[in-house]
Amino acid sequence: MVRRVEFATPDALETALAERSYLADRGLAVTAFLALKLGRPLLLEGEPGVGKTELARTLAAAMGLRLIRLQCYEGIDAGQALYEWDYARQLLHARALQDGAAAGGAGELYGPEFLVERPLLAAVRAGDRALLLIDELDRSDDEFEAFLLEVLADFQVTIPEIGTIAAERPPVVVITSNRTRELHDALKRRCLFHWIDYPDVARETEIVRLRAPGVSEALAASVARAVALLRDADLIKPPGPAESVDWARAVDALGFASLELEVAEATLGALVKNPDDVHAARRALARDLARE
Amino acid sequence: MTGPAPESRLVALAAGLRAAGVPVGTGQVALMARAAALAPGDLYWAGRATLVNRADDIPVYDRVYRELLGSGAPRVTRTRREHATIRGTPFDAVSGVPVDAPPPDAALASPTEVLRRTSFARCGEDELARLARLMARMRLRAPERRTRRRRPSRGGEPDLRRTLRRAFRTGGEPLDRAWRERRRRRRRVVLVIDVSGSMSGFARGLLLFAHAALRGEPRWEAFVFGTRLTRVTRMLDHPSPDEALRRAASAETDWEGGTRIGQSVRDLLDRHGGLLRGSVVVVLSDGLDVGDPEILRHAMRRVHRLAHRVVWLNPLKEHPDYAPLARGMAAALPSVDVFASGHDLHSLEMVAAAIAAL
Repeated sequence: MVRRVEFATPDALETALAERSYLADRGLAVTAFLALKLGRPLLLEGEPGVGKTELARTLAAAMGLRLIRLQCYEGIDAGQALYEWDYARQLLHARALQDGAAAGGAGELYGPEFLVERPLLAAVRAGDRALLLIDELDRSDDEFEAFLLEVLADFQVTIPEIGTIAAERPPVVVITSNRTRELHDALKRRCLFHWIDYPDVARETEIVRLRAPGVSEALAASVARAVALLRDADLIKPPGPAESVDWARAVDALGFASLELEVAEATLGALVKNPDDVHAARRALARDLARE
Repeated sequence: MTGPAPESRLVALAAGLRAAGVPVGTGQVALMARAAALAPGDLYWAGRATLVNRADDIPVYDRVYRELLGSGAPRVTRTRREHATIRGTPFDAVSGVPVDAPPPDAALASPTEVLRRTSFARCGEDELARLARLMARMRLRAPERRTRRRRPSRGGEPDLRRTLRRAFRTGGEPLDRAWRERRRRRRRVVLVIDVSGSMSGFARGLLLFAHAALRGEPRWEAFVFGTRLTRVTRMLDHPSPDEALRRAASAETDWEGGTRIGQSVRDLLDRHGGLLRGSVVVVLSDGLDVGDPEILRHAMRRVHRLAHRVVWLNPLKEHPDYAPLARGMAAALPSVDVFASGHDLHSLEMVAAAIAAL
C-alpha cells in the first residue's frame, strides 16, 4: 500500500503541487496545509475556472490518496451519495432462493454483495487513504447539506441491515462551491475557507506555460495579459485560467507564436462563451492589440 | 515579532472582526490559535482561513487586520467585480439637480448617495402598523416546479425499492407494485425593491408587502437598491414587521437617494445570478433611471432568460393615462411578463394572485 504523503510546511505542499503543474498562491497553500494539519474540510470558493476542482485532484495525487468525487446537483439525496441496494439483483436472488437454485436464507438478501457503494460510503470505508471531493455543494439543497454535515462530523454510516461502518481516521475533505447560494454557517464553521482569486499576469503566464508546454513564453505572456484585460472589460462570464490555457493552445495549434488580432479573433471561442461577451471581448482586444 | 503576546493579538483580531459585524464563534478562535501555531509565518492566512468563511467578509478582514496588526498583510488583488463605470448623471437627491459624476473610486462616499436611515425608521408608525395588520393576512404563493427528488405516489414511475420490499410478502413475486413521482416545490421569489428618492412614498409599503407576503415561505430573497444593491433577506426575516423594517432600514444603502436601476440589476446578476435561475423575479420600481437605459435593457434581458417569470410593479401605473415613457421603463418592458401597478394594498393582492397563477 502506498504511504500517505505528509507535508511539514506550507512550502513543501506548494512545491509538491507545483511538481504536478498546479501553481497555488500563498494563501491557498497555507490554508490547504492548515486544513490537513487540523483535520478540517477545506472549503474553496471562487469564480468558475480558477482551479477549485483541480486543486483537489492534484492534492490527492501529490499525497498518494485515492480521489473520491461526489458531484452535487439539485435534488441529490442520501441514496445517491451514500449507498443504495441493487434491487434488480436482490429480486433475482430472491427468485433463485425460492426455486431452490441458490442456497442460503432470506437474510442474505441484504448482504454486502447487494450494496451499491456511493461516494460517501466509499470515502468512509477508505478512511485516510482517500481524498473526498464534494464538488459544487451549493447546487444541492438544504436538506442534503444538513445530511452531509452529519456525515462529516463523525464519518460513520449506519446501514440498518448491516451495521455501522466508521472510518478509523477520516479522509481528507475538499468542498467546492460556486456561491449560487450561501452555504449554512454550521457547515462553514467546520471548514477552513479560501477564496481563490484570479492569478496575476505573471502567475497566469506560468500556469499557461505549465499546462500547455508547447506554447512559447512570449505567447503565454501575451495571452495572460490579454485575459487580464478582458477580466476588466465587464464581461458577463469573465474567462478563468482554464480558458486562458485553452486559448493559448488554440492559438498555438494554428501555428502562431504570438497573439495577433486576426488569430485572437478566430480563436476567441476558446476563451469567451457568451454571445454578448464575444462582441465586447472583440472590441476590447481590437483596441488593445491595435495599439501595439 | 513585536508588540503584545501572540495570543492577545489573536483575540484582538477576533474581537475586531466581531465589532465589524463578522460573526466569529469561539470555536473558530480556538481553531485560529492552533492554525497560527502551525503556520507562524503566515498569520494573515491562518486568520483568514479560520475566521472568515464568506468572500464578502474578506475586505473587512483585510481592514481589521491592517488596523490591529499593521504590516504583514500581503497585498491581495481583488477580483470581485465592481462596476466602476457610471454612465448618465446622478441626481442630487434633495434638489433634483444633476451633479457632476464622481470618480468611480469615490462613488461609495459621494454625497449623491444619501444615507438617510432615520427617516425610514421614524416615519408614519400608525399607518405602518395598520397596513402591517392588513398585510399579515396575505400570502404570496409562488408557482410550483418539479424537483429531482421523488416521493411515493399512486402513479408515475416504478419505485423499485418499495416494490422489492413488497415482493417479499408475496414470495418474491412483484405483484404489488409501488410507484413514485417527482416532488413539487414552490419556486423561489426574488423581490427587488427600489428605495430611491422618487419611490420614497411607496418603499415602506412595498417592504411591508415583502415582509408579510413572504413570511413563512422558505425560499425567497429580497434586495433593495438606490444607486447600489443590498441584500436584505436576513434583515427582513423577523416575525415582527416593525422590527424587520427597522433592521432593513439599518442596511447600508442609500435610502431615498438617486436611482441606478440598470447598474443595480446588473449587480444582482453578477453577484447573485444563481438565485435568479428558475425563480419569479418581482421588481418594484418606478423605472426612473438616471443611468444609461441600454444597461438596464441588457440586464433585464439576462434576467428574463434566467428567471421563470419577471414581474414589474410600477406605482406610477395607477394613473390611467400613464404610459411607460421613462427611458428606463421603456427599456425594461420588453423583458417583463407581468406589468402592474402595486401602489396600494388592493393592487398588491391582485398581483399576488397573478403570481400564483404564473
